[in-house]
Parts: sequence; C-alpha cells; structure tokens
Amino acid sequence: MASTAEREVAAVPDASHILVRSAGKTYRDGEQPTVALADVDLSVPRGRFVSVIGPSGCGKSTLLRLVAGLEEPDTGDVSIFGATAQQASAAKSIGFVPQVPALLPWLSVLDNVRVLDKVNRRAGRRRREAAGAATERCELAGDPVQLLTRLGLGDALAQRPGQLSGGMKQRTAIARAFALQPDVLLMDEPFSALDEFTREAVQLQLLDVWHETRTTVLFVTHSVTEAVLLSDTVVVMAARPGRIAAVLDIGLERPRRHGHLDSDAMHACEHAVRAHLEQAWTDVLPRDLV
Amino acid sequence: MVSARLAAAARRAAAATGFLHPRWWLPTLVALAAAAVVWTLVARSNPYVLPALGAVGEQLTTQPGFYVENAAATLREALLGLLAGSVAAFALAVGISESTVLRRALLPLVVVLNVTPVVAIAPALVVAFGFGILPKVVVTALITFFPVLMNTTTGLRSVARPVLQVFRTVHASRLDVLWRLRIPSALPYVFASLRVVFPLSIVGAIVAEFSAAGATQGLGTVISVASSSSQLDRVFAAIACLAVMGSVLLLLVTAVERRVLSWHESQSGPS
Repeated sequence: MASTAEREVAAVPDASHILVRSAGKTYRDGEQPTVALADVDLSVPRGRFVSVIGPSGCGKSTLLRLVAGLEEPDTGDVSIFGATAQQASAAKSIGFVPQVPALLPWLSVLDNVRVLDKVNRRAGRRRREAAGAATERCELAGDPVQLLTRLGLGDALAQRPGQLSGGMKQRTAIARAFALQPDVLLMDEPFSALDEFTREAVQLQLLDVWHETRTTVLFVTHSVTEAVLLSDTVVVMAARPGRIAAVLDIGLERPRRHGHLDSDAMHACEHAVRAHLEQAWTDVLPRDLV
Repeated sequence: MVSARLAAAARRAAAATGFLHPRWWLPTLVALAAAAVVWTLVARSNPYVLPALGAVGEQLTTQPGFYVENAAATLREALLGLLAGSVAAFALAVGISESTVLRRALLPLVVVLNVTPVVAIAPALVVAFGFGILPKVVVTALITFFPVLMNTTTGLRSVARPVLQVFRTVHASRLDVLWRLRIPSALPYVFASLRVVFPLSIVGAIVAEFSAAGATQGLGTVISVASSSSQLDRVFAAIACLAVMGSVLLLLVTAVERRVLSWHESQSGPS
C-alpha cells in the first residue's frame, strides 16, 4: 500500500508531476484473473530519474504501459504533467524504449533515430512552435548525429541494425527516444539483455545524455545496482497483487561514475532497496525459501 | 564512406568473377554432360519416346523465328497474368490485413477459389472469354494470386509488437504504420512468393493454351499440335524454350530481391 503522504500528493492535480492515481489493472485472459496492479499511487516530479524495481509479476511493466498509454487502467487514472496519457502520446511527448531494441532493420542507424519525425507530423510541428515561443529545447537531443555520436555510435550512422551488437542496437533505441525530446522517457528493462560490461558502459552513456536533457525518466529494471546507480528515486514493487511497497530517495551526488559503484554510500542505498525487496518477497514466497 | 563503397564494389566484382572459377561451373557442367549421355542412350533405344538431342537442337536452329514468336506469345500471357494476379493479391492482402470485415467476407471465397483446380476452371474460362489472350491471362492470374496473397498477409502481420508499441506511443496513424512498418516488413515474404509464382506463371499460360484447342499461338499450342502428330523433336524444342524462360524469370526475380532486400538476413551469405 502506498503511504498516506503519497496519497495526499496524488490528490492534487498539477502540471509538474506525472501522477498515477489509485490505478488498478486486472488481466482476465487466463483461467483465473490476474491482478497486475491493485490501487497504485505514484507521483513523479518533472526532471527526476525514477526507477521501478520488483520481482517478476509485480506489474512494473504494466505500470509503464499505463503511463505510455499503451493500456488503459481498469480503475483510477494517469496524468502526465496535466494531460492524459493519450493526449501526451498524441503530442509526441512520450519517449518509449522497450525491452528489445525494436529497430527497423531496413533503415540505417541514423534513419532509425529520425523515423519518428516522419510520423504524426502535426504534433511535431506544434511542439516545435511551442518550443520556439517558450524555452529553447536541448541542443543535443535536437541533433540526431550529435546524439548518436555522444552515445558512441558516430562511426555507425550508416550501418544497418543487422550489423550492430546488442549494446549498439539498444543505444540506437535510446537515441531514438531522446531525439523526440519527450517530456517523459519510459524505459522497460532496456539493458536486461546486455552482458555486464556492455550494460555498465551503456548505463553511464545514458546518464551522460540525461544530464544534458534532464528529461523525466521512468525506468523499469530488475537490477538493484542499476536502479541505485541511475536514479533519484527507487520505487519498490511487490507482487500478487502488484502494488508499491516502498519509495526510496537515493541521495548520491551527481554526476555519478562507476567509481561510485564501490562506495559505502552506494552500498547503503543498495542495502536499503534490497531490504524492501526482501520484504516484498516474503509476502509471496513460502517461508523456507526466503 | 568511400573506402567502404570501394570494398563493397570489390566484393561484388569478386562475386561476379567467382562464376568463372572451375569450382563454380565444373560440377554443373559434369552433371549436364552426364544427363546428356543418359538422354542419348535412352533416345537411341526408344526413338518413339525420346527424340535425339541433335534433332531437338536442329529444330531450334533451323527455325528460331518460329520458337521465338511462340515463346513471346506465351511469355506475354504469363507476364500479364502475373502482373494482374500479384498486384490484385497485394492490394487484397493490404485490404484484409487492415479490415476485419473485409477479411471475414473475402477470405473464404478466396480459399474456395484456391482449392478448386485451375486446370478444371481453364476450359470454362475459354468458353467465357474466347480463344484470345484474355482467358490465358485470367488463368495465369488465378494461379499466381493465392501464393502472393497468403505470403503478403503473413508478412504484413509480421511486425514485432515492441516496434508497434513504439509507433503507438507517438500516435502514428494507420497509414504510417502500414507504409513505414507493415509493407517493408512484408517485403521478404512477398519476394519469397514471387520466387514461386514467376516460374508458376508459365505453367498458368501453358495450361490455358492446352485448354483453348483453337489457339493459334504459344508454346503450349505448339506442344499440343506437335504431340498429336508425333513430332517429338518439336515438342521437346518447345519444352526446352519453356525451361529457359522459367529459369530466366527466376534469375530475374532473385536479382531484384537481392537489391531490394539487402538488409534482410536471407541475403547475408555465408561469411
């Protein structure tokens, strides 16, 4: 259950937060209905990097799909800086990075990053006009070549996805999402298929680009280390039914480097997250397994 | 960039001149020679079943104009039917993949049409459309229609879910999804079916010519007229033309496929 403090925050609609209000989602395709999410409240302030972590089946990916507007909640609602998920995606203000890179194999790396410019053009034009009037957009994210170069793909612009390694493909998918200059970036275990070394390198590259764009990020992961290294806030979820077990702030200083991986402060944060995760596990597993 | 392009050109050149190496052509040549020897032996003992290779060659060399003319007629029927059949199949595939109503309405009809033997329909079409080119084009179109339809329908549905999700999160229109995702994803499937139906189109044209007893032109007509008067050398000369036509069509579609689908796994050779 979410704490009462969060509920109070969630009760105020505002344009500076992503709000999930008592969202519930039940899947009825199996023999028994599965309660993927039960009464979840979450509030993410603009510009934060928030990780969602939990055992498999805890509904973390479902939560992400609700925010992305790919699914509708059965109960409750989602608002993204004052707009509904549908309005936000219609305005092209959601960047989505799925678990697999989901690139188009017939396009080069550069064209894969630019392809979303060509769909839903009206929203793109509207946003550019609004951006011109208000604040200038991030220069890095506005230039696909610069963005890809920063992510270490400067030499691979003309290559096709079939010629790339897993890490390069996932970095291309990340560049595609950043290039939209979205208000919120939703990432669904984007590094889970990568080997340890590649993953650490890509994590730092992600942080590097994020520092410049300061996009709000909702990042689903099953790695405690990854969650702590990347995030300002870690949301711990528990399964059956899927719910939020704890919300922890990570006070580590930024910019974060891999040197931090071994620091005492980092270990303390990991320990705290793990303790909450174990608590979430005990609710599910038989005693002797824990 | 330039060096990569040069390297690619060098690879292509190497691949092209690779055909000249004995390792490439020798096995084929030996097999062909062996087949010719067997043919000659069989033909010598059964002259009323198999004509001598020399007699077939003589047919082709003494009156090449006759064969070219009839081959052109058959090829015209085959290609027109192919064009009509595959364009219609592609359009219908897009239609039924976009509209459930259309799929429910038309797919059973199409399946029934497909399981009905074209050989059985051909005489009826001749009765309906006469002895001109039209019934032949229709038969060829029918024979090429179904493979293209089925493969294209599967291909249009082959887009991975995560890719569709990425497009949905930016509210891509159905037209965008169709044009930028579904059709490119379907191309490998379309080409797989084209490799089948290009040679098959000739079968369609020949079957139609067989059914139209009064037809004046085409290699099918040549074969049925010549076989009724036991001119075996003429029959086999026409068959040889058909074999060459089928092979050329297959080479053509494979070459186009290699260009269009350079990004696809099927085109990356052993490395």
